[in-house]
Amino acid sequence: MNLRKLINRTDEYLRTEERKRKEKRKYLKQVTRKLREHEKSLKAQLEDCSDSELKKRLNKEIMLAHAQRKKGVKLIKSLKKKKSKSKTEKN
Amino acid sequence: MVKKLILPTIFAFLAYGFWISSDFKEIAAGVAIFLFGMLALEEGFKAFTGGLLEKILKRTTDKLWKSLSFGVISTTIMQSSSLVSVITISFLSAGLISLAAGVGIIFGANLGTTTGAWLVAGLGLKVKISTYAMPMLVFGIILVFQKTKELKGIGYVLAGLGFLFLGIHHMKEGFEAFKDTIDLTAYAVEGYAGVLLFTVIGLFATVVMQSSHATLVLIITALSAQQITYENALALAIGANIGTTITAILGSISANIEGKRLAGAHLIFNMATGFVAIAFIWQLTGLVDSVSAWLGIADDNYTLKLAVFHTIFNAIGVVLMLPFIGPMVTFLKTRLPSPPAPHVSEPRYLNRAAFEMPDTMLAAVRQETLHLYDNAAKIIAGGLSLNLQDIRGEKPLEEVIHQSRSVIPTDIDRQYEDSVKSLYGSIVDFISKAQGRMSLSPDHSDELFRLRAAGRDIVEAIKDTKHLQKNMSQYILADNPYIQSEYDTIRLRLASVLRELYKVNLQGDNSAIILSLDRLKLDMQEYDHSLNNNLGSLIRHDRISPAMSVSLMNDSGYAYDVTRNLVQMGEVLFSSGELRLKAAERSLRLDEDEVSAVAEQ
Repeated sequence: MNLRKLINRTDEYLRTEERKRKEKRKYLKQVTRKLREHEKSLKAQLEDCSDSELKKRLNKEIMLAHAQRKKGVKLIKSLKKKKSKSKTEKN
Repeated sequence: MVKKLILPTIFAFLAYGFWISSDFKEIAAGVAIFLFGMLALEEGFKAFTGGLLEKILKRTTDKLWKSLSFGVISTTIMQSSSLVSVITISFLSAGLISLAAGVGIIFGANLGTTTGAWLVAGLGLKVKISTYAMPMLVFGIILVFQKTKELKGIGYVLAGLGFLFLGIHHMKEGFEAFKDTIDLTAYAVEGYAGVLLFTVIGLFATVVMQSSHATLVLIITALSAQQITYENALALAIGANIGTTITAILGSISANIEGKRLAGAHLIFNMATGFVAIAFIWQLTGLVDSVSAWLGIADDNYTLKLAVFHTIFNAIGVVLMLPFIGPMVTFLKTRLPSPPAPHVSEPRYLNRAAFEMPDTMLAAVRQETLHLYDNAAKIIAGGLSLNLQDIRGEKPLEEVIHQSRSVIPTDIDRQYEDSVKSLYGSIVDFISKAQGRMSLSPDHSDELFRLRAAGRDIVEAIKDTKHLQKNMSQYILADNPYIQSEYDTIRLRLASVLRELYKVNLQGDNSAIILSLDRLKLDMQEYDHSLNNNLGSLIRHDRISPAMSVSLMNDSGYAYDVTRNLVQMGEVLFSSGELRLKAAERSLRLDEDEVSAVAEQ
């Protein structure tokens, strides 16, 4: 790692706002990943399901997990945008 | 009386010592600086929690070897077995770990503490560590004044290490100068009498300083200045090992019975190890010589040989006692029996030991609020004339409702007074004390606020159930099948909420499962819409009276509120991850409009 890169990283760490944003993104990614896995397993259950009531419930859960995941992706993107914005301002 | 005299006696003794010897003053100041460093180090490590501790504990204490390693590593990093044992007691009191896991950590801590002797004997005495201490202190203190929690934490750790090094330096200098005036080795006692006498001195010194590490550093620096003999130093180290249990014993006074048992296990382990070491001291010394020779340690390098001895005798203790963890736990449970089962309204996890760390305090409040929910769930189920066990069972809920045709007499007011009100009061009181006593980060304060709000949601849910109960008890026995069916639907809805919450609580560490609680909100919205449609038709066709329709509308509103409150509570209480992970979960929850949007799809 060259010196400039090292300075940039230290500077990034010391800037609380940026660090907090980074951390938030990390955890949001973690939760959206879990939601994606959950959605997948619900879809697999739906394929094997023959009970109409259960099917209805599974569909509902899939829709919810999807909506939550979409919300997460949107949040992650907006955090990313803020980061690039602050970088441009700095330059 | 005796207690009142101890402090003035120590002061008088120290003052006299300082008056007659400036070298003694330097040694004592070294010890004081060292202990201050330990306090700073402790403060620093506390800054790096935030649910992280719970996460690590869950992953690292499910097997004995893991708890043992946790003890070794945490003590090596924090350089204080006393601190690790006090924290472990608070983990146990907050219900975060089992007694066997706690015993494993304590055994590991005994092994981890030996790294201190190696560091001081191997590094501390060879390099001029005061040179490192100065910049550490300067950088550390600058960081302590920073606003962010993490930087403050790093600052405390750095300053703590700086103070430790500075303390060691002063002890070393003091002993070096001391040997020019007095030769303490003249007071050396040989043979078993010496072993026993110096064991007691080591024990006493550790009890006073409450840090075996500080005693050990003192022993090593004195040994390097040839102020004590090697044999007496070994005995002092044994005494320090026994004396270190005092911190755990003191810490357990405010803990629950599990914490007291752990302190008992710590005492048994260190006493047994101490006895073995005393009984076989000469054989152990021979073993130390052989191991040291094998490691290439010079025959006259007594400080490093002391480190070898310290490691060997603690390792022997672990090896000897490991097979007896099970019997030891059973023995402690018989000797320190649990007090008679507390009344349901009495707190189980709220004790002063939990104030040790913000995370353990939060865990204790969370566990106690879960206990509150457990009591409340029984009341809510009773209010619906259902049995909680049936709700939490495997039988389809339609069947459960169908079979529960009689009204279960439930005096909600009385049960609320008996099992909820005072418990919630204790939780609120504990939270207020925590806010007053501890310096909490904004994240911890916010979480505490949310936990208190979760308790309030539980209380609100009970109150709404009470409003529901009156009409429900009447209409589930009504001759009119239409109104009966509508009230059974409300029962079914609420029973499914209780069942879902129960299932989610069992798999609390999965964010996606916690977020799946949003389905209950969606179900309730859908039910509300369908009831509105049904209600018109029921009135138009004269199937229910206008009075019945008003009751039904009000009660479906109460059911909606019960669901909302319980889901809110579940989202806060059931998630057991790190605080930041919880924050991420919170930001992905759907609000009412978003749930409506999903319902319309």
